[in-house]
Amino acid sequence: MKRGYLGEFEEIVLLTVAVMEGGAYGVAITHEICEQTGRAVRLNQVHAALERLEDKGMLKSEMGEPTAERGGRRKRLFTTTAYGRRTLQEIQEVRESFWAKLLNPFRPATSL
Amino acid sequence: MKPPPHADRLLQLFCAPHRLEEVQGDLHEEFAHQLRRVGKQKAQWWYWWGVLGFLKPFAIKRKPSGYSTTNQMNATMISNYFKIARRNLIRNKAFSGLNIAGLALGMACSLLIMLWVQDERSVDGFHANGNRLYQVYERSSYDGKVEAGYMTQGLLADELKRVIPEIEYASGYEGNHLYRSTFEVGEKINKVEGTYAGADFFRMFSYPLVQGTPETALNTPIGVAISRKVAEQFFGNPEKAIGKAIRYENREDLIVTAVFENVPANSSQQFDFLRSWNAYVKENQWVTNWSNTSPHTLVQLRPTADPARVEAKIKDFIYRYKQKDQGSLVELALQSYPEKYLHSTFKNGQIDGGRIEYVRLFSFVAVFILLIACINFMNLATARSTKRAKEVGVRKVVGAVRTALMGQFLGEALLLTFCSILIAVALVAVLLPAFNSLTGKQLFLPFGQPVFWASLLGLLTLTGFVAGSYPALFMSSLSPIRVLKGSLKFSGGATFFRKSLVVFQFSLSIILIVGMIVMYRQMQFVQTKNLGYDRENLVYIPIEGDLVQKYNLFKEEASRMPGIRAVSRMRNSPTVNDHGVSDIGWSGKDPNLWVSFSDELVGFDFVKTMNLKLKEGRDFSREFGADTVSYSGFLLNETALKKIGYQHPIGQPLWWGGRQGTIIGIVKDFHFNSMHEAIQPLVIRLDEKKPYGTILVRTEAGKTREALAGLEKISKELNPNFPFTYQFSDQEYAKLYKSEQVVSQLANSFAVLAIFISCLGLFGLAAFTAEQRTKEIGVRKALGASVASVVTLLSQDFLKLVLIAILIASPLSWYAMTRWLDGFAYKIDIGWWVFALAGFLAIAIALLTVSFQSIKAALVNPVKSLKSE
Repeated sequence: MKRGYLGEFEEIVLLTVAVMEGGAYGVAITHEICEQTGRAVRLNQVHAALERLEDKGMLKSEMGEPTAERGGRRKRLFTTTAYGRRTLQEIQEVRESFWAKLLNPFRPATSL
Repeated sequence: MKPPPHADRLLQLFCAPHRLEEVQGDLHEEFAHQLRRVGKQKAQWWYWWGVLGFLKPFAIKRKPSGYSTTNQMNATMISNYFKIARRNLIRNKAFSGLNIAGLALGMACSLLIMLWVQDERSVDGFHANGNRLYQVYERSSYDGKVEAGYMTQGLLADELKRVIPEIEYASGYEGNHLYRSTFEVGEKINKVEGTYAGADFFRMFSYPLVQGTPETALNTPIGVAISRKVAEQFFGNPEKAIGKAIRYENREDLIVTAVFENVPANSSQQFDFLRSWNAYVKENQWVTNWSNTSPHTLVQLRPTADPARVEAKIKDFIYRYKQKDQGSLVELALQSYPEKYLHSTFKNGQIDGGRIEYVRLFSFVAVFILLIACINFMNLATARSTKRAKEVGVRKVVGAVRTALMGQFLGEALLLTFCSILIAVALVAVLLPAFNSLTGKQLFLPFGQPVFWASLLGLLTLTGFVAGSYPALFMSSLSPIRVLKGSLKFSGGATFFRKSLVVFQFSLSIILIVGMIVMYRQMQFVQTKNLGYDRENLVYIPIEGDLVQKYNLFKEEASRMPGIRAVSRMRNSPTVNDHGVSDIGWSGKDPNLWVSFSDELVGFDFVKTMNLKLKEGRDFSREFGADTVSYSGFLLNETALKKIGYQHPIGQPLWWGGRQGTIIGIVKDFHFNSMHEAIQPLVIRLDEKKPYGTILVRTEAGKTREALAGLEKISKELNPNFPFTYQFSDQEYAKLYKSEQVVSQLANSFAVLAIFISCLGLFGLAAFTAEQRTKEIGVRKALGASVASVVTLLSQDFLKLVLIAILIASPLSWYAMTRWLDGFAYKIDIGWWVFALAGFLAIAIALLTVSFQSIKAALVNPVKSLKSE
């Protein structure tokens, strides 16, 4: 089967999970995305994306430890699967090949 | 610091359990984070916002359990439900028939009443400015009484509009009686009913004009607005009518200034022509005196006006134009015009009911009859539940849950109700013409309106659920073990419930029977009561056209005709006299006393023609020359004499509006208004000069036909431009009680219907009981019981119930009928025998119904009923 397609938001969530290396759960991911991209992301959107990614087999999850802040409830911790990582890599490679073919790479507009 | 608990509860409600922990945990953690960042208020808002964000399918969807559940709602089961329902219906044809017939009758009756109520409520609802239209009424206090009515001063409308800025438009309307006026165009002569209205009338009320404009329709004294019907009658079509001349009462030529669409049946104002208010004022000089009242006054407020404030403003309006009298007080008040039709009765000066009482009464009757029909259904279904108990048991054993069984039985009830409603609609379609002629309405089944279908659907579900709920609850509660072991015994509760339903049914029926008897007797009483004058063989002829001048000639010639005994005249008619006068004086009158007298203007031989009984004194007669002088002699009735208090009244002085005359006679009290009102003090004087009024002709019994032929001949000679019209006194009198007659007849039909439906139920129950006790009866008979004793045995259970119903219904019906009779000043007493009769009827009907079944059961040969065991 060809690799599953990823939406832009799903890709970012997947990347974030990979970056956070084992410490990835709903709120933490949301905060990380907010900081890194400056977007206003809502918790339910992240949960929905995680759900879809898990369905696609790019993420796996297990229940973590409870904290007092969470009222004694456990976190669901996400880690990327090999399939997920390979997908990210393929996306990156496709992009890089396109960038390499760009004859006239954009330069940052320092002055006009 | 905890997040808002309501939001948490909401989350717990909708979020899938396997997801709740992480989601809630995340939300709580985020809440703690936001609390540090933006403070409590915002964090709480944020939390709500966050929770609502999870109202998405992915969070709500439950995890599949992996086990299959019994699906009660798949296609096979549904078709099975239908199959079982059909088989049950067909197997018990008699019971199904009883059920469907009862429900269909009940629903047909409710549908009819619904249509009628709907129509009553729609009256006067079509005016676009309805919420700003008000009718002025006058409240007057005098003589220790407060009375109110719609009769107002003739110039009130114009003055209100001129003085009160909140009043946008105002119009007088002569609404007490319609004028049957003669119109003439070329060769065509016809009588048309209509009245007078103010210049703003068509601007206020939504009677669309075919020709002419609302502004010019009624603003000249020679103008007349006619209906499309009249325009077509005289001119062929409305376009040809406008601007044409039309001869009015062979007296003046009017110009058609407007043609309006025929007034719809659901308008309380009915007219085929309208003349302008200027003409009314010109023809009725008395309107300039603000003590006189007659026409109605209608106003339209500006959109911004507050009716309560306007009402307060006009309260004392009358005293701008007249002096305050000692001992009397007149106030103006407003009533919303669209509400007037249903609320037009006054009590102690306040609006108190009216037709709305009948609307309510019949709505109750509709609900009751439907309830009786539903009770039949419940009774039969639960009584027969032994038959289906096994089915319930088996279904439960193979996995039916209670809700599924309830659904099944409710569904069966709905199916039956559906069959019934089809029959009910067909019944209504058949009965509507008869119902219309009885109620004088033009009702129809509005198949084109979605509202009608919606209400049918509502009726269907309501009836289905009410009728089906108890059987469904009861049947689905049966325990499968007991049912299948065959030891099903009804608890005392179920039997008690069934018995109380029968009692309830019969109580309602008895109440209706009592209502029927009392209404019938009161109507008989009213129709046959000695009125004090002889209303048989009395003919009225209107004084119009040349008869105004030639009345004496008419009288002379008519008196010579065969079959005519006496001729006289009066201003009003003997059946209704709404005229009153307050300034009657006598010697020794307390100057502060303010008494209102009814007054009447009559011709010579009045007492003789009316067949009144003279207590003292004499009739007006030509033999006494002094009588011809106006205000010289007065006749009083006994009630008036009591007010005045003269010991020897004949020859004593009396002042009418400051003019002195003497009392020439005292007549015994007679009814000159309907029985709803007590006899008022009446003062009569002679006046043969009035340009309108009624000629009274007393004919000889059995010679009415010759007399009428003669009268027509004289009328044609003396008054050639007017068609000869006449009315019979007894018929006019009967018209006074038209609405009571209708109600009485409706009550009859509904009572019969209610009893019939109750009997259907009783019949079914009796049949069922007899069937259940077949073995018992067989054993009894084998041991020597007689047929009579078996019949008694089977009947007495039901008789007890009917007796209890009589005990409950009697006081209730007594109260209800006493209230109804309160509307009459002259009424019958409700004797104890009425209840006895109603009870006897109920028992007899119940016995008849039950005995058919019990005799059948008692006659069965015991060999037959016992051999099967």
